[in-house]
Amino acid sequence: MKRTTTDHDSEGIGRRQLLSAVGGSAVAAALAGCSTLLSDGEAADQGGQSGGEISDEPIQAGLLTFTRGAPGVLGIQAQRGAELAVQRINEAGGIGGQREIELDVVNEGSNPLDSYNQFIEEGKEVTFGPISSGTHSQIAPEVEKNEVINVSTDGTVTTLYEETVPDPTYSFRFQNYDIMEVVTMAREAVERIGADNISTVAGVNPGYSFGEDEMRVFTQAIQKLTDAEVVYEGFPELGASDMANHITSINNEEPDVTFSSLWGGDVTTFVRQANANDMFENTTVFGTTLYSAAGDVPGDALAGTDIYSGSRNYYWGLPALGNWQPGRELFDAATQQEGVTVPTAHYMSGYGAVTAWATAVEKAIDLLGTYPSQEQIAQVLEGHGFFTPAGYHNIAEDHQGASNSFAGQMVYDDDLGAARLDDVNTYAATETAPPPGVTGSDWLDSWSA
Amino acid sequence: MAVTPTAALVQTLNGIQFGFILFMIASGLTVILGILDVLNLAHGELFSLGAYTAIGVFGFIIGIIGPPGGGVVGTAVFVLAVLAAVLVTAAILLPVGTLFEAVFLRQIYDRDQVYQLVLTFALLLILLDVKKFIWGDSSIRTDAVYSAINTIPTSELVGLNYPTYNVFVILVGMVSVAGLFWFFERTKTGRIIRATAIDREMATAIGVSTDRVFTLVFALGAFLAGFAGAMAVPPTAATLEMGTNPLVLSFVVIVIGGLGSLRGAFVGALLVGVIRSWMITLYPPGEIAAPFAIMALILLVKPEGLFGTWGETA
Repeated sequence: MKRTTTDHDSEGIGRRQLLSAVGGSAVAAALAGCSTLLSDGEAADQGGQSGGEISDEPIQAGLLTFTRGAPGVLGIQAQRGAELAVQRINEAGGIGGQREIELDVVNEGSNPLDSYNQFIEEGKEVTFGPISSGTHSQIAPEVEKNEVINVSTDGTVTTLYEETVPDPTYSFRFQNYDIMEVVTMAREAVERIGADNISTVAGVNPGYSFGEDEMRVFTQAIQKLTDAEVVYEGFPELGASDMANHITSINNEEPDVTFSSLWGGDVTTFVRQANANDMFENTTVFGTTLYSAAGDVPGDALAGTDIYSGSRNYYWGLPALGNWQPGRELFDAATQQEGVTVPTAHYMSGYGAVTAWATAVEKAIDLLGTYPSQEQIAQVLEGHGFFTPAGYHNIAEDHQGASNSFAGQMVYDDDLGAARLDDVNTYAATETAPPPGVTGSDWLDSWSA
Repeated sequence: MAVTPTAALVQTLNGIQFGFILFMIASGLTVILGILDVLNLAHGELFSLGAYTAIGVFGFIIGIIGPPGGGVVGTAVFVLAVLAAVLVTAAILLPVGTLFEAVFLRQIYDRDQVYQLVLTFALLLILLDVKKFIWGDSSIRTDAVYSAINTIPTSELVGLNYPTYNVFVILVGMVSVAGLFWFFERTKTGRIIRATAIDREMATAIGVSTDRVFTLVFALGAFLAGFAGAMAVPPTAATLEMGTNPLVLSFVVIVIGGLGSLRGAFVGALLVGVIRSWMITLYPPGEIAAPFAIMALILLVKPEGLFGTWGETA
């Protein structure tokens, strides 16, 4: 059954029309991040409320992301997204029309907590990132202790706001989290293959908290949607050069569905070695973050494969580029940036995290008439709604962002020089996320078979 | 889980293939340790440097000869070109090893081993930055070699679904093992190196230049690391961090086999490769722990390792 498909050719509304339609500041419009509570057009023309109580001192911001190595495939996307958002804010006059942002980017690397603490010692007013779930679990308690807003780009582990920081004040997460992307792919597997045709499931997931979390949730979700039995679970370490053993085990079991949350360079290694071992003759792969390797995976490796990938809360064709400003602008600007063949969901992680914070601050300025404190920004971020070229987003009271999810068949596009998703389905947050206050596990348990 | 005989065979072959890559890395490490008495922490970075260099060399050579031509001759030419690229890559590492030994290590042979560890760790960091400077932060890969060699039918001829590149690694690994043992057992240079390892003072007394032997051995270790890097990179990618895990696993291999024993490195590498492979099949969470468990067991039963240290035989 077809859900919602990509439409690249439709005419869309322009920036001025958008601004006029919803009301918002120049920054919000520049980001397509128009808060529902923003002021009228007069304030927008002034680039937001810019009273005398707002200094023109630049805002010092920090971004923790992977800037090199295999994880850099994701991290550099997030970095470029955040940089473009900052650039657009500054070109629009800065926050409140006066304060430009200076973004300091640091490699998440092996001592991310030290890097985060360095940001705080340097007096950063806001931090973005990290990418890794492990890092996020480390820094979220520190964020609460330091009382400086962090809007994470990723670090999507399900238990973050359920167990690690159950009652957060200053820690927020923009991107859809693990349960959302996993449930998306469980639904996608049923959508594509049919529940009656899924009786066995295998998994190849990264050997750390993120991969284990994703496999656990997928198992729970798919067993609610089908009568499937899990026949194999492999957890190669991050950056593994040899996945042949896992692939052979899958060939041995021939599962109907193989679930994978491999990401970045690991996807390319897995797909190439799986293709060489004819694994796609024995199973169909459904993955949450496989498309993160869009610009890395070569065409010959994808030839003859049977892979469906999620794309978290952003796929560059939905909403249609021409329909949702600055969709086309963002896509064209992104593809000009170093290290971005096509902008992936992680690009939006960076762009959206900055947008969430910036539009919340603008909203607070509009309400208060002055530059807000950390606590006031935090209060505005709770329940904050805003737009990006990915569509509409909301950060719920539990500090978790909720947006549409996307999934489609991963194929190689010679014209693009990268992978794209074909026949894309869209899933609303209500289909993939538990209601605020309900844990992912309890929500899945509550599903009737 | 039920494992079919075919899957069992393929998993064993996977283990052997991984074991040969490990041996290529560990052999250089153990030769340097056995003869120079230096634990080279930069060895993983030499392996990684080999992988990065190989991508350029593969590109250059394949750029000249083009993709594999049709027929047996065209295929043979392509495979030989890949082998030549691997050897050229390893040869590029020779002067790097020579430089490291002659300029840095030679100054500290008489000092405590802690100095060697600090120095080789410093070399590790320097090599990491050199790679970053030359190739940048992002991972790089070569697409032509792996897919092209996999188009050659080998295991399919006997009804097995197994990538030809892996068969290629196993065959090259077997030749490498034979070549190394032949070098150390049958050639004059190899015997001089062994003599130096067994009794450094006696070797000096009969006219052997230990400086020259040490330089040769370190360069040979770098050659082997580069060779391993070039063989390992086609199915995966060269990344800045790729030297870390092979270094750790190589330590495990040489501890299992006996510090400084080439024979031990060979047996240890295959043991680790195959057991790891079967562990993934039977109990996947044990993948990382398995090699260390074997090492702990060997240390308990035979603290000097399976084959002891360097001695009368390689």
